Parts: sequence; C-alpha cells; structure tokens
Amino acid sequence: MTLNQFLLLLLPEIVLTAAACVVFLLDMVWRRDEARGRWLPWFAVLGAVLTAAATVVVWPMAGTDGRPLAFAVGQGFGGDAIPMMALDGLAIFFKLFTVLVLIIVGLSAGEYIQKHTPFRGEFYALMLLAGLSIMLASAATNLVMIYLSIEFLSITSYVLTGYLRDDPRSTEGAIKYFIYGAGASAVMLYGFSLLYGATGTTDLAAIATALAGGSVTVHWLILPAMLMALAGLGFKIALVPFHQWSPDAYEGAPTPVTAFLSVGPKAAGFAVLARLLLTALPAFRADYWAGVLAGVAIVTMSLGNLVALWQSNVKRLLAYSSIAQAGYMLIGLAALAPQAESWTTGLNGLLLYLFAYLFTNLGAFAVVIAIENRTGSANISDFAGLIRRSPFLAVAMLIFLLSLIGIPPTAGFLGKLFVFGAAVQSRMILLAVVGIVNSVVSVYYYYAIMSQMFFGKAEDEEPIGAAPIMRLVVGINAVMVLAIALYAEPFIRLATDSVQMLAASF
Amino acid sequence: MLSDFTFVGILVLIAVLLPVVGLGLSWLIRPKKPNPVKQSTYECGIETIGDTWVQFRAQYYIYALVFVVFDIEAVFLLPWAVAYDQLPLYALTEAVIFVLILALALVYAWRKGALRWS
Repeated sequence: MTLNQFLLLLLPEIVLTAAACVVFLLDMVWRRDEARGRWLPWFAVLGAVLTAAATVVVWPMAGTDGRPLAFAVGQGFGGDAIPMMALDGLAIFFKLFTVLVLIIVGLSAGEYIQKHTPFRGEFYALMLLAGLSIMLASAATNLVMIYLSIEFLSITSYVLTGYLRDDPRSTEGAIKYFIYGAGASAVMLYGFSLLYGATGTTDLAAIATALAGGSVTVHWLILPAMLMALAGLGFKIALVPFHQWSPDAYEGAPTPVTAFLSVGPKAAGFAVLARLLLTALPAFRADYWAGVLAGVAIVTMSLGNLVALWQSNVKRLLAYSSIAQAGYMLIGLAALAPQAESWTTGLNGLLLYLFAYLFTNLGAFAVVIAIENRTGSANISDFAGLIRRSPFLAVAMLIFLLSLIGIPPTAGFLGKLFVFGAAVQSRMILLAVVGIVNSVVSVYYYYAIMSQMFFGKAEDEEPIGAAPIMRLVVGINAVMVLAIALYAEPFIRLATDSVQMLAASF
Repeated sequence: MLSDFTFVGILVLIAVLLPVVGLGLSWLIRPKKPNPVKQSTYECGIETIGDTWVQFRAQYYIYALVFVVFDIEAVFLLPWAVAYDQLPLYALTEAVIFVLILALALVYAWRKGALRWS
C-alpha cells in the first residue's frame, strides 16, 4: 500500500483533528467577539459532519475478511511497520457512533455553555478531541495504542468534567474522576505490561498467536493481566466495582458533558474490551473471562439499579441508571454465541444496545438540559407538571424513559431483547433472569420521574419554552428511538456486519 | 526463566541491604557530638534566610505546562533530525505538521495571557 492510500484510511481522524484545531483557532481570533463566538458550536458540529462524510468515504475500504486493513507506525520509512490500528467493521461502527454523539451533544450544549461559562471555544474543541480519542481507541489493535488513546480520552474527560471552574461540585467531580482514573490507568498499564512480558508482543493478534503456539511458559500471568486490564476499562465504562467516581463526576460536570460521559467513554471502553478479549485472549473465554464478565454484569446491574432507587437529582439518577445499563450491555460480551447458530451473537446485541442507548440517553439528557436552562436545577421535583408546562418535552422524556426500561416499541427493548437473547442462547439463564428482574426494579425509579411529569403539581405552571434547537435535538432523538425499534432491520444488519470479523475469531 | 528472576531477586536484595547496612552501621558507630552549626540546614554553604517551607506561587504550573510544549517538541524532533538525510519528503511534512500543532498550543497559551505575570 502506498503512503497516500495509507493516509486516506486515516481520513476521519485527520478531519476531526483539523476541525478541533480550527475551533481552537477561531476561539482565539474571536475572543472578544460575542456575536461571532455564537458560531463556534456550529463549527464543531460542522467538523463532526465532515468527519461523518470522511467515514463514509473510507467505509468501502474497510477490511471484511481475514486481517483488517491496518495503519502502521513506520509505514513508508522502510523497515518493519508495526500495525497500530485497524479499519474494520467495528472501527467504522464506532466512528459513526462517535460522530453521532458529537453532533447531538454539540447541538444541545450551546445555550447551557453560553449561560454557565465565558470559555466556549475550548469546550467544543476538547469535545471534538475526546471524540477523536474514542475513534482511536475503538480502532486500536496494539496495547500501546490502546493505552495512549484511553489516556487521551481520560485527560480530555477530566478537563471537561471540571469545566465550570467556579462551581465547587464541578471541581470536586473532576478531582475524584482524575484520582480514580490515574489509579485505574496505572493498573491497566501494569496488566498490559504483564501481557507483554508473557508473550513478548504488544500486537493483539500476535498475542493470541503466541499464546496458542505454546512458547509461552507463564500462562498463570494471563488471569491477573486480564483482570487488571478489566479494571482500567471497567473504570471507563463505570462497571461495579470501578464505578465510585461516576455519580459525583456526573452530578458535578456541566450537563452536556454528563451526557457525553455517559455515552462516549462507555462506548470506547466496550469497543476496546471486546477487541482485547476477542482478538488477544479468545482461548481463555470459557475458562476465564466469560465467567468474570458475567459476575461483573450481575453486580453492576443490581447495584446500579438499587442505588438509583434513592436518588432525587435527575443527573445522579441517570448516572446510576447508566451504570445499570452498562451492566445489561456487558451481558452481550459475557454471553457470546457462535454466529452460525443464532441471530443473537451477544456482540451484535452489545452494539445494538449501545446504538439504542446513544439516542435514548442523549435524548434524556437533552430534556434535562432544556429544563435546567429554564429552572436552573435538575431535581426530580423540577419535572413536576411538565406535561402542562411543556407537553413536547414531557412526551419525549416518556419515550426515552420507556426505552431505558426496555418497553416496546422503543430501541431499548430491541437492545435488551438481543443481549438477553444471547444469554439464553449460551445457556446463561441466571444472567438473563437477573437482567430481567433488574429491568423490573428499574421501572420504579423511572416511573418516579414519569409520575412527577404527568401527575405532579408544579409550584409555578409557567410554560417552559425550550429553544428551537433543543426541540430539534430532542425530537430527532425521540424519532430515532422509535425508528430503531419499528424499522429495526437495517440497524440489526449494521450491528451484525460490524462484528463479523471479531465474531469469526472464536 | 527462574534463573533470570533469581538475578532480579539478588539485585533487589542488594539494593535494599546496601543503604540499610551503610546507614545503620554508621549510625551505630559514629560519635554523637551535636552543635548548632552542625545541626543547621545545609544548602550551599551560605546561611539560610527565612523559613524552609516557602510557598511557591501556584501560577508557576502554567510555565511548567508551556515548557512541556517545547520539551515534547525537542524530544520528538531530535531523532527526526538525526535521521534527516535518510528520510523521505513525507517525514518533513509530518514534522512541520507536528510543529504547527504544538505552535497552536503555544499561541493559545499566549492569547490566554498565560505568559503575562500578574
């Protein structure tokens, strides 16, 4: 492959980097220009849209069978090139996923950021860079690249969490996030070093070959190495027991950032986890990680839901609910089933669930942002009588909450159907039962919001006039949540095609 | 495999024993005759002025951060410069883009007034 073709494969990342730099530059040039500063979010969204276009351009080049097309360090310099990233179905899926997150969050952040902080350009630039790191992480096929991109994502997330410098809760959340994150990434790096020590390579596929080849004498190192890697990635996903940072960080962070954090880093964590386990350690599935993941999934679902029951702040409630949702998604990874035997391979369930969760959660947060913009806070009591104050927001929120519970005809139902289906297919009945019981438990706290919206009495019944752009974002999300469920076939096919290569490895 | 780790073990053992034995032994056999000059803080031979626990201004971290921009630049440009005559044009472009991105960071810090001491 010549150098130009090789750079072409990196087009989405290059476009996104350039977009972030342009937003930084424009912010500097327009520093004192309020009127022009209002255009910054639009430039960020434009950057995301161009990245989506670039992703569509590289889509046909994605590897479909055998080894994925790879970006390599040292390409074009002569000598050995070391593969660092893959362009396969999974990478394309997460590129599109990231772009959607960036567009939705970018559109819904405008008014909130305008109100809360004078520093605007950095916010959008950092958000684009966080998106870039998700793209890099989900495509990485080398332990070094995985670590660097996850660290990149963590650092941008810390800054975004502590973005409201004058708000002590924002700073507190960022500090907690940072301290947990520093510990988790150190542990993960140590786990990676054990993997490298045992196999002598950092390339995921080469690790699997080395482990299968019999040249590795220290197989007992694999379990601790895997658990340590899981600690670092579990921190990103906010799996129990690595979740303690998330409620504080979610509550303290600016609400658009909370929306981003609850979807973006989770997706990156799942992408890396799936790639790491399936590419590097497929041989240890039955012995080690299927059981570990199933255990973590059960604890995560149960604890997330039980603690969510007691929350009165909507951001905190959604934080715990997102912990529980991550537990459901993890079922997909724990209960992998061979593709030949069923339509639910677990992996496609995971992606489908993530896709449904993207629109559901970002939509719910968009409603929270719209209400917070008017009332100044985000407690469940602020939702009282919403049906009279803003029927549109109330009905949209109802759709998102139903989707979070998993009631048809919403996208959340489809996601749950696929992951629970996978659990049943691979005879992990306990996992499916715990998941279903938890879904029932979760109805209680989602219903608390619903009953406030429809039957609660607000102190002032003044209508909440959401900005047109917020209405648009909420509306699109609500339509997508319904569309994924009612017109499911293309989305199921997208999820199934995206995992084809990974699923073939076991 | 095991013998390799034995060497590491021996190294760890020596590394721990050396300072412990050295310091412990000298503590045991040294004469103890303190006087004010001996107990004063040694910095550079000149008498210390003021308290040892001076507070540094936290704003220094911004200078440290800006310094990192140049630091990283030097770290990556050195190997590039050493191999310069064997590299294709592509490598030159790459280095220019790299420097431009770092320059953006510096300009950003500059515009934000990070280089002004207030």
